[in-house]
Amino acid sequence: MRDFTYVLADDVASAGSLVHNDAVARAVQTPDDVAYVAGGTTQYDLMRDGVWSPGTLVDISRLPLADIEVSDDLLVVGAAVTMADLARHPSVVDLDVLRDSLLLAASPQLRTMATVGGNVLQRTRCRYFRDPTVTQCNKRVPGSGCAAVEGTARTHAVLGVDAGCIAVHASDLAVALVALDARVRTHGPHGGRTISVTQLHVRADEDPARDNTLVAGELITHLEIPLPDARSGYLKVRDRASYEFALTSAAVVARVEDGVLAHVAIGLGGVGSVPWRATRAEEVLRGQRASLALFEEAAAAELADAFTVPGTAFKPELARRTLVRQLRDVTEVTA
Amino acid sequence: MTATTQAPTTAAPVIGAGVTRVDGPLKVTGAVPYADDLAPRDALVGVLVGATIASGEISLVDASDALAAPGVVAVLSHHDAPRVVRPDEASADERAPMPPFQDATVRFHGDYVAMVVAQTREEAVHAASLLRVSYDVAEPVVDLNDPRALRETDDPAGADSVRGDLERGVAAADVVIEADYVTGDNTNNPLGLFSACAEWDGDALHMWATTQWPFNTADCLAEAWGIPREDVRVECPYLGGGFGSGLRPWPYIHAAAMAARVVGQPVRVVLSRPQMFTGVGHRPETVQHVRLGARRDGTLTAVEHTATIPVATDDDNPENIVSGTRQGYAVEHLRADVDQVRLHISPPGSMRAPGEAQGNFALETALDELAVELGIDPVELRMRNEAVTNPDQDDLPWSSKALDQCLRRGAELIGWDDRDPAPRSMREGDQLIGYGMAAVSFFYFQQPCTVRVVVRRDGSAAVHCAAMDIGTGTYTIVTQVAAERLGLDLSEVEVVLGDSSLPASPPAGGSGLAMAISNATALAVSGVLGDLGLDGAPGRDVLARAVGDRDEVRAEATATPPDPAELGMSPSGAFGAKFAKVRVDADLGLVRVERLVSVIDCGQVLNERTARSQVVGGTVGGIGHALLEHTVTDLHAGPQTGRVTNAHLADYLVAVNADVPDLEVEFVGGPDRLNTVGVKGVGEVGLCGVAAAIGNAVFHATGRRIRRLPITPDLLL
Ligand SMILES: Cc1cc2nc3c(=O)[nH]c(=O)nc-3n(C[C@H](O)[C@H](O)[C@H](O)COP(=O)(O)OP(=O)(O)OC[C@H]3O[C@@H](n4cnc5c(N)ncnc54)[C@H](O)[C@@H]3O)c2cc1C
Ligand code: SF4
Repeated sequence: MRDFTYVLADDVASAGSLVHNDAVARAVQTPDDVAYVAGGTTQYDLMRDGVWSPGTLVDISRLPLADIEVSDDLLVVGAAVTMADLARHPSVVDLDVLRDSLLLAASPQLRTMATVGGNVLQRTRCRYFRDPTVTQCNKRVPGSGCAAVEGTARTHAVLGVDAGCIAVHASDLAVALVALDARVRTHGPHGGRTISVTQLHVRADEDPARDNTLVAGELITHLEIPLPDARSGYLKVRDRASYEFALTSAAVVARVEDGVLAHVAIGLGGVGSVPWRATRAEEVLRGQRASLALFEEAAAAELADAFTVPGTAFKPELARRTLVRQLRDVTEVTA
Repeated sequence: MTATTQAPTTAAPVIGAGVTRVDGPLKVTGAVPYADDLAPRDALVGVLVGATIASGEISLVDASDALAAPGVVAVLSHHDAPRVVRPDEASADERAPMPPFQDATVRFHGDYVAMVVAQTREEAVHAASLLRVSYDVAEPVVDLNDPRALRETDDPAGADSVRGDLERGVAAADVVIEADYVTGDNTNNPLGLFSACAEWDGDALHMWATTQWPFNTADCLAEAWGIPREDVRVECPYLGGGFGSGLRPWPYIHAAAMAARVVGQPVRVVLSRPQMFTGVGHRPETVQHVRLGARRDGTLTAVEHTATIPVATDDDNPENIVSGTRQGYAVEHLRADVDQVRLHISPPGSMRAPGEAQGNFALETALDELAVELGIDPVELRMRNEAVTNPDQDDLPWSSKALDQCLRRGAELIGWDDRDPAPRSMREGDQLIGYGMAAVSFFYFQQPCTVRVVVRRDGSAAVHCAAMDIGTGTYTIVTQVAAERLGLDLSEVEVVLGDSSLPASPPAGGSGLAMAISNATALAVSGVLGDLGLDGAPGRDVLARAVGDRDEVRAEATATPPDPAELGMSPSGAFGAKFAKVRVDADLGLVRVERLVSVIDCGQVLNERTARSQVVGGTVGGIGHALLEHTVTDLHAGPQTGRVTNAHLADYLVAVNADVPDLEVEFVGGPDRLNTVGVKGVGEVGLCGVAAAIGNAVFHATGRRIRRLPITPDLLL
């Protein structure tokens, strides 16, 4: 493990203003070899495993980013809010898709440490990526190849991937966020901006070496989550009944009016190199009369171009069934 | 220093009573001395470096940069490490795992190629990343089905057996079924990472190491270094879980001894979690074939059970996959056969119920298939073929057997007769419901055990034995047996274990220790009472008076396994019946266990609480075996061939609480006739049969027969 400098970005000196926080300002201006750390549940693992060892760690967990504000139909969540705290917020306990994406993730201990900002930026669990003795990994060493494509790939992705990298983005929360049309607010070298979560991550088939579209030093400050006027739910399918990443998952937000799908938004987990917004399925569904046959058609459309290797051959079918089940349960359609 | 326990004062000790563990307070307060807690605190730290190829020769270990790194004291590799003799594993005709750094050969991915010794772990880990190791790479063979692999048909485990004439039995059958079964490789994964610390005093070696068999570890170290046995001491009063992974003298133990020798200071080695997947054994995968012939009424006429298991290229640890098949049922014509295939994999080792865990799955699944084919109730099929005597041992009567009671009681508890036996007939919403069962005839394993009992001037007593308590409750049951037979309170007996300098013990393994040590304790108590001119359970005052003005009176006794022929009976292991109720999501293939009933015949229950806990723990392991656990090795040709791909607790799935329902456990049967205390082992029977019961329940729920472990959702889509 490489020596590193640890900087606690304490809010006191800068009187609550992020822009004036020295540590953050330095990280934003000279971001080379610097990483933020919040709960540390991903970052410290990566460092211990020798996968990513930045020279400076800027700890943002004490910044004034731990508040949750609700205004009308918008939830604004500080990036340093923990998964546990968000899950028990009054506006979230009844928002099934968001609550369950949090409560079905990781373990109570991890959720108490882990922040929502860190969650959406967590790095892939691919064991070839996380073991530096493996020489072929386009994500870790661009151009080196992909050990997983020919290796053991049961937990890997089938959408937004090609033979260059099949890493899955394993966040559950981000899958719910894409279905909720959520955005992230950031603070970076060019000031502040707002990015849709669907635009935050980079597909592996576009550039495996890049996880997201943030520029170096850019900090997520808040999540903006529109509260939907719709029913919702999150279904997570996994071998183990708890404490496991998704084999497949489906976040569904939908409103049925007179039997017709007036609103539908879908996120799929466990299958995409990014939190997967199922736009093709949505197109099939939108404005149509809800029925199980229609759900089957929509799910099939979404998975039609899946890229599989032997280890992931089962995933498109499991993902289709997961989505159909969740559409059925959220819409309460029976036939 | 040696760990001891002192029990709280309780009511009169009774064998069988569920007294709480005598070491419970120490455990829950964090005060128990695990092996490493006793080791010198100022020891240097050794970090092992594994090969990144699965087969070949090391051409060079260039340690120049590593040696220049801060804190580094030494680097060991085959270039310069001390040469030691490869020991035999005690009382077995087997070579112990190869000590590290003895030659340039890489035998598996993760095989140790070097060790960095530094002041701190961080420094050692960092320096290890600076080592440059080059290899002449050879092509590894890591797939059990690879035709290039060397297949050995000899019978080192004593597994093979022929009874009668198989083909005649098949010809006599009205129905014959046959199928292949596959069980995946599993890794023990105790929570406690294994550690070893070595300190030399001249040519005398003192070690504190994670082991389930301190006595044998000391034997092996003495042999390795060619030093007198009395100059080696291995201490391990407690460990953080073993499940069989601590039975063998693994290379990391030797590495600590070598490093301490080289640097002239104590050196501590703690394995990393990934190293726990390649350094301390694993339950080998199997490919099995079962053929059963039966008459219409369910009487078995022929049983054939063959298996292929992997062994490492330069190691002996064959498992007997077919022991349960050979003794499980009364069948005249039988062929059982296990072949070994040499692979470039890390040496396997025992993992709770070695052999029987895998073999039972195949046999008991096949029996379920036969029951379906015959239209006979699966419980009835087992009872009809009950082995009233041991068909595998000259049809001698069993020393005890209550399998039929296990089956009846289990069926009653789960409500077997209330189910609709037709496959895929029971459903609630999206959930298919299924019931399944399996029987277990666990093998008997026994080795000599010596115990010393000391009665002190004040009438209190101590019991000494080199044996390990791996968390099963050995301290407690020995306390109970000694206290009851001496007429003492539990708090008046001190039990000292886990030190190779104490009287010789067998391993804490093979479900054999409770039987061995409780009998040896009973014998040693009789000995000491005889020496004192006492009998019965005299109690403290009488004992004190008999000791008189001596400091103490000691007696040693050895419990030796009896000769079955002389006894005219066949020594029994435990028997059990497992009944599972599962729910399977009809679309998503998710299997969740709703109930699991275990009814066990383990002879005299020494302690209801610890015995139950063994069955509960075993069942949790069985659920993992059935549905979750799978050590996956990269098989495709390439730089990663032979690498374990999920050597991490986030990726190797053990059962968590949510996977485990409230487990129902009952004991039936009575004291075994073989020994004075009447005990049979209960450490492993809890795991066996769980996988088959769950698999059979999955078949009942879905109509789909999965002949492969673990049974994962993708197999059920
Ligand atoms: C055993 C295990 C099981 C898990 N299971 C699940 C699961 O089932 N589902 C699931 O969704 N997740 C799971 N996780 C992942 C876990 O949820 C994430 O590790 C956690 O959410 C990350 O949050 P953190 O605050 O600890 O992030 P950190 O580890 O502190 O940071 C993660 C990354 O984000 C960056 N970062 C953090 N905050 C910011 C910010 N505000 N702006 C810019 N960059 C930032 C860091 O530099 C780092 O690269 C699991 C993790 C483990 C270890
Ligand atoms: S899937 Fe992606 S992260 Fe995994 S080995 Fe291949 S390139 Fe690396």
